[in-house]
Amino acid sequence: MRYSFYPGCSMEGTAVAYCKSLVAAAWALGLYLEVIPDWNCCGATVAPGLAGSYTSRVLAARNLALAASRGLDVLVGCSACYLALSGANRRFQEDALFRIRAKEALAEGGLRYDGNLRVRQVLEVIAHDVGLDKVRERVRQPLTGLYVAGYVGCQTVRAVPWSFDDPEKPQFLEKLIEALGAVAVPFPAKVHCCGGSRAAAAPGEALGYVKNILEAAESAGAALVITPCPMCQFNLEVNQLRINQTCGGSFNLPVLFFTQLICVAFGLAPAAGLKHCLVPPYRALSRFRP
Amino acid sequence: MKTLKGAGAAQPLLYDCGFAREIYALEGGAQLKRCMQCGVCAVSCPSRQEMDYTPRRLFSLIRAGRKEEVLDANTIWVCTSCCTCRVRCPRGIDILGLMHELQFYYLRSWFKVHSRASFQQAFWQELRERGRIGEAGVMLRCWLKEGGLTGAVLKSLEMKGTGLRLLRRGRLRLIPPKIEGLTGLNKIIDKALAQQGYAE
Repeated sequence: MRYSFYPGCSMEGTAVAYCKSLVAAAWALGLYLEVIPDWNCCGATVAPGLAGSYTSRVLAARNLALAASRGLDVLVGCSACYLALSGANRRFQEDALFRIRAKEALAEGGLRYDGNLRVRQVLEVIAHDVGLDKVRERVRQPLTGLYVAGYVGCQTVRAVPWSFDDPEKPQFLEKLIEALGAVAVPFPAKVHCCGGSRAAAAPGEALGYVKNILEAAESAGAALVITPCPMCQFNLEVNQLRINQTCGGSFNLPVLFFTQLICVAFGLAPAAGLKHCLVPPYRALSRFRP
Repeated sequence: MKTLKGAGAAQPLLYDCGFAREIYALEGGAQLKRCMQCGVCAVSCPSRQEMDYTPRRLFSLIRAGRKEEVLDANTIWVCTSCCTCRVRCPRGIDILGLMHELQFYYLRSWFKVHSRASFQQAFWQELRERGRIGEAGVMLRCWLKEGGLTGAVLKSLEMKGTGLRLLRRGRLRLIPPKIEGLTGLNKIIDKALAQQGYAE
């Protein structure tokens, strides 16, 4: 199965481990990814406030226009990118007036898009196109006895509600954890907000969000947390260190992307990019690395 | 009795009847008419305790034409874009989209600056100049906007630990990214803004 791949800005920077492990895990599952050439920032949830939703959707659609000629589904890992791209795509498909105006704007840059693509999140592709049975088959190093908290975050399941999971009580990430042989701890904070980009704009204000989530994961007995969202991963990891420094916390919870855990379970640990973690996961994963 | 900012002290104003109409005219703004004041958005919001007004109250104030109170409120700036209200709204209103549009309205047609908008402005500047976002670049621009050169230096020193840790782990780019089709992207953005009657 082939897909156009939209990495997103964070995958070149703070979430470089997500990119590496995602490509490796996808390859192991028979998904071949072609990066959209010369893709641009999707605007995330920041550009709409400054340039308006319309402009923000049009600039996100430039990526879809670049991928249009190949006609493949667009695979997205980052949840903010997923929200922006799927939102733009839906407007293209459903709103005729939007389509006419947006096409005019895209033509200014010599591009054309008709709304012929589908935008898909990695977890959704694993749920629908791959299936957990295939994941189970591919496991070489079952993560037996590893207690994992699956932190789903907000936008992954809420950008397109019910596309693959319940937006209020998502189950799929936990099923995936179990498929890798690990134990998914009961984790009610899995859809609590991490503070999003507010943590970057005003770090002090967002510490409370992160603290609650980390406390919930710790008291559930998790050895590590996994998430499909670069913003969540960054907030949970960086603010964990900040809480330890400023509020006297003693958190030591590695926060990985779910694809990194998949890589470890698939016996592809070198491709998992574990060296990029600020909170080292080596002790938690010591039994599973070759 | 409150007066509208910029309207002069001589003209006390309680209601601005045109305000609601202006908001309805924004992209997706007409959805606001569907709000039935049930308050699900208010109880769903993770930032509700910090908000001056919950989304429900904000929408009510917009309808009542209370422009000053709406624009003075921190509500639209503390929204984390978590989408919970949007998913739960029984009337299917894209509340998150409305929050963004209200930020846009504020910055475009009202005060042009807001103490909480520097991150967004830094982000937009980076997008316009590079086409992609480099985390270090955005934060530097943001700190420069907030505190000038001294402020940026102080803030950089304060965040030195995090920065160095990220750098050591290969998660911080020193050479900022840039796309090849930047001119084309900017033409598209200019056109989209112009279609709505705005220019940068």
